Amino acid sequence: MNAPYYKFGYFNDEVSLIIAFIIGIGFGFFLERAGFGSSRKLASQFYFKDMAVLKVMFSAIVTAMIGLYYLSVLGFVDLSLVYVSPTYIIPQITGGLILGVGFVIGGYCPGTSCVAASTGKIDGMIYLLGVILGIFVFGELFAWIEPFFYSTPMGKIILPELLNLPYGVVVFAVVLMAIGAFAAAEWVEKKTASKSGGN
Amino acid sequence: MKLFEKLVKLSLNKRLALTAAMLGVTALFVGNPYHGAKLSVDKAELALMVQKESDQISPIEIAEWIIQNKIDYRLIDLRDENDFAEYHIPTAENIIITELGSSSLMRNEKIVLYSKDGIHAAKAWFLLKADNYKNVYTLYGGLNAWKDKILFPRVSETIDNSEAVKIAEISKFFGGQPQNNSQTETAAKYNNPMPKISTPAANPLTPSKKKKKEGC
Repeated sequence: MNAPYYKFGYFNDEVSLIIAFIIGIGFGFFLERAGFGSSRKLASQFYFKDMAVLKVMFSAIVTAMIGLYYLSVLGFVDLSLVYVSPTYIIPQITGGLILGVGFVIGGYCPGTSCVAASTGKIDGMIYLLGVILGIFVFGELFAWIEPFFYSTPMGKIILPELLNLPYGVVVFAVVLMAIGAFAAAEWVEKKTASKSGGN
Repeated sequence: MKLFEKLVKLSLNKRLALTAAMLGVTALFVGNPYHGAKLSVDKAELALMVQKESDQISPIEIAEWIIQNKIDYRLIDLRDENDFAEYHIPTAENIIITELGSSSLMRNEKIVLYSKDGIHAAKAWFLLKADNYKNVYTLYGGLNAWKDKILFPRVSETIDNSEAVKIAEISKFFGGQPQNNSQTETAAKYNNPMPKISTPAANPLTPSKKKKKEGC
């Protein structure tokens, strides 16, 4: 039996929803434990005081990458069946910027706002309302946005194909990038800490 | 020992980073994780093979190989289990198309594929060729052609020429029955019972079936 279980038909739609629910609870739990239920903690990322967001995101990426890579090398995962969302470069950069601006203004990203709301934080609940409103507005306006939404398509690209590098080399490079980013983050944290200590 | 002491003293974060780094370095040598699920084809070569029909083998040829007890090829039945149990060409192994990649077929073996009408086999042929299997063929016309040409061939009522005798003999070898011209083709297909598998299986030629059992 190898993954992805759903694509191989080991369970049906209903079971997949139950599993998504359990994974979602786990995801929220660990976000909360990491302190991401607090907009103060998240916002301090943007002041370079606390780089926890960067570290968590990058270690999640590296863990998932190494895990998927080795599991598929060992034959437990069929990587060709793992969904890769297609790239539409300009609209996705625009979407990323909008999300980033929302993150800076509201102090949450969509996932962490759910965590904050469920732990009883009022700003989290307001943010969540904003998310739902945004989804509604996007849905209503989609017919207008659609041509832009599907512009500059690049297909399902992955880094090894885009850079024309062997898969292992990309894995190695991303690990190096992550370790470099961690070192830089620690350095920045120390610097801002000594600055605020001097004041 | 000093190195070991240093490692023990490292913080958890640094140990994790070190583990990630080591796995990253290993990845350099491990290579591609897709297990050849993505294939590339030489389109000129394949197109030429199809054009020249050098990718096909006629039912008569297969019948002769079976009669001669040839064992330098593997005959693959791509239909499902039930169809296979009902009737299959003697010596055939049952492998469905999704299991071709994980089967015991070797890239340098001579492989002959057949399905009901040949379309399924043609698709499997393409998949195997793209996956670098060298000698892959399909049975021309599939099992339907096998029925028409081998099991229930139409020969004239006055069997006098040697060709017709030969065909009739081949047909009988496989438990079939030569048809008279008077009978229509459809009658031949639908009214004649398929021969019992045990009849042609008297042919002592099942070397590859053992392999298949190991695979399970």
